[in-house]
Amino acid sequence: MAIIELTDVRKVYTLGKTEVHALKGVSFEIASGEFASLIGPSGSGKSTILNLIGCIDQPTSGVVRINGTATNGMNDRELTTLRHQTLGFIFQSFNLIPVLNVYENIEFPLLLGKTAVPKAEVHDWITYLVEQVGLQDHIKHRPNELSGGQRQRVAIARALVTRPAIVLADEPTANLDSKTGQTILELMKKMNEELNTTFIFSTHDSTIVGLTDHVIRLLDGEVVEETFQGRAAAEARS
Amino acid sequence: MLSVVLKISARNVWRQKKRSFLLAGAIAFSMFVITIVNGLTGGVVDNIRVNFSHALGGHVFISGSEYREQGIVYLIADEQALLDSLAHYETSIESITRRSQAMPSLIFGSRQAMQLVYGVDFSEEDKLLSSLVVTQGSLERVTDEQTIILPRTVAERLGVEAGETVLMRLDTITGQRNVGEVIVAALIEDQERYGISAAYVNRSYLNSLLGLRPEEYQALNLFLTNMDDADEVGRGFREALGVPQPATLADIKEMDEEEAVRELFGMARVEEIEPWEGIKYQVTTINQIMEPVEAAVNVLRTIGLAIFIILLVITAVGITNTFRMILIERTKEIGTMRAFGMQQGMVRNIFLMEALLLSGGGALVGFVLYGVVSLVLGQISWDTMPAMQFFLDQGRITFDATAREVVLNTCLILAMSLLAANFPAKAAAKLSPVKAMSSNL
Repeated sequence: MAIIELTDVRKVYTLGKTEVHALKGVSFEIASGEFASLIGPSGSGKSTILNLIGCIDQPTSGVVRINGTATNGMNDRELTTLRHQTLGFIFQSFNLIPVLNVYENIEFPLLLGKTAVPKAEVHDWITYLVEQVGLQDHIKHRPNELSGGQRQRVAIARALVTRPAIVLADEPTANLDSKTGQTILELMKKMNEELNTTFIFSTHDSTIVGLTDHVIRLLDGEVVEETFQGRAAAEARS
Repeated sequence: MLSVVLKISARNVWRQKKRSFLLAGAIAFSMFVITIVNGLTGGVVDNIRVNFSHALGGHVFISGSEYREQGIVYLIADEQALLDSLAHYETSIESITRRSQAMPSLIFGSRQAMQLVYGVDFSEEDKLLSSLVVTQGSLERVTDEQTIILPRTVAERLGVEAGETVLMRLDTITGQRNVGEVIVAALIEDQERYGISAAYVNRSYLNSLLGLRPEEYQALNLFLTNMDDADEVGRGFREALGVPQPATLADIKEMDEEEAVRELFGMARVEEIEPWEGIKYQVTTINQIMEPVEAAVNVLRTIGLAIFIILLVITAVGITNTFRMILIERTKEIGTMRAFGMQQGMVRNIFLMEALLLSGGGALVGFVLYGVVSLVLGQISWDTMPAMQFFLDQGRITFDATAREVVLNTCLILAMSLLAANFPAKAAAKLSPVKAMSSNL
């Protein structure tokens, strides 16, 4: 079943008197639990697609459906609630809140919800995530006391803390050395398999594409190739 | 939600320590200035009121007058009857002084000066004696029959010094000329510029010159257990004695112009004076006498408030600019928080809470600073400055900023900060998440 569905999505940015067509009728689906990647060179539309799926931007035309719900026409409050309930984010430059420590950064999205979760349950869940990303010795550290790899691990735990159906990662390894980048991707893959969370990440590094089930290749705002491998290929065949 | 807003705001305030200290410092300075002005004026008014009451011999003053063939005679003839009619207020009365008064010409050599002279019983005037600031001579011999305590300025006009004798020429209550002799026991600091310039002699001696019996008096003055009750007690006394209440502002507004001018400027309606039977009483309170002083102090308070508001406006501009800068610095952070599901209102509340914390902290620091400064200044003795004594309590400055003033000023500061931060807070809330996320900051 498709958890994400883009149908003839177009996005036009206006820069002064110039119109930039970032997306030119993009259509694809991503199934629940997939580990999918958007690849392509800079300016191909990867980040724009992630912004649209992440409900932080709206398409000029076309339909974006998240969990079967079209995001077109939703107001800011509804989009914000949808983001909180359904989506997690991992950013290229980590984007941790500098005034919060590791534990608090991971806990942060939970505090934005309206439903109160028992403190003990929250603590156990965050402790589990911290252990999964291997930061149990840095729990009280502030972001500026962590390395790039450690920061991205915190970001992964933060993205997963609300148990979102979808995690969006915008070039999560771009600011990391290749070895740390590989570790981060393996960690994301592990969480994808353990929690069955759909992961979509953008990258222009074709060497890491091998890890993904579903590859969407973009060029100049259009999907030029879509391939399935591993689990996704098996499911597609079945 | 509030705890999240509070936690993030508090840490944001702490994050830029130098900037926060500067902003909070400006707010603290504003709070300090207005509180010190309020405290000082409040203390001065209290001290003047106390010193006035000591000089005048009470908080509520009852004088009596009889209509006789030869004219109006000021006298309280039957004290017991008067006190009986005030029995309801017995518990409010701390002590009583009884005074006579005259406006004689004081003569020394070829010089003379008109001067208000109170005839007092020094044995019941402890408060008066303790409040007098003696510049020459001493108060040791004031109980001697024919001595006078003279304001310094009057002594200078007459050219007389302590120990010398002056003549006192006055009219008796029946209108005959009389002359007496008094020795200057002490010169005291004059309070003429504040509306009180009085000399003091023994009441029995003044009575003998006025043609009254030694035990008689013209004004019964009452010290109350609580000076703040003066108006209420005064009102009760007037009701008990059948004295009309002074006109209120509402009464004056209803009067015609001529009547209002008479009432406001205390002009007697000569044509209305008609003979009466028995004693007619007049009740005055310390607050009525203090009205001109309070008016002058209110001018000071208004100037203080104006300075405070100017400081607040300057600080408000600083807060707005700082928060606009913060908005630019935290664009990406706001985008991240919005991406994870923070609603616009919460982003705005974080900014407003930061402004509240800064201004609340600043106000608190300003108030503490006021406490420290007032405590230090309150320890200094200003005895070497006789002209200041009327403003002081036993030679020391006192501060009395009321809780109402402090709360009001704090509310003004908080409201100003919220107003100043509101524009950047709204802008932060409306920031498009996608623009925030793509920020390079």
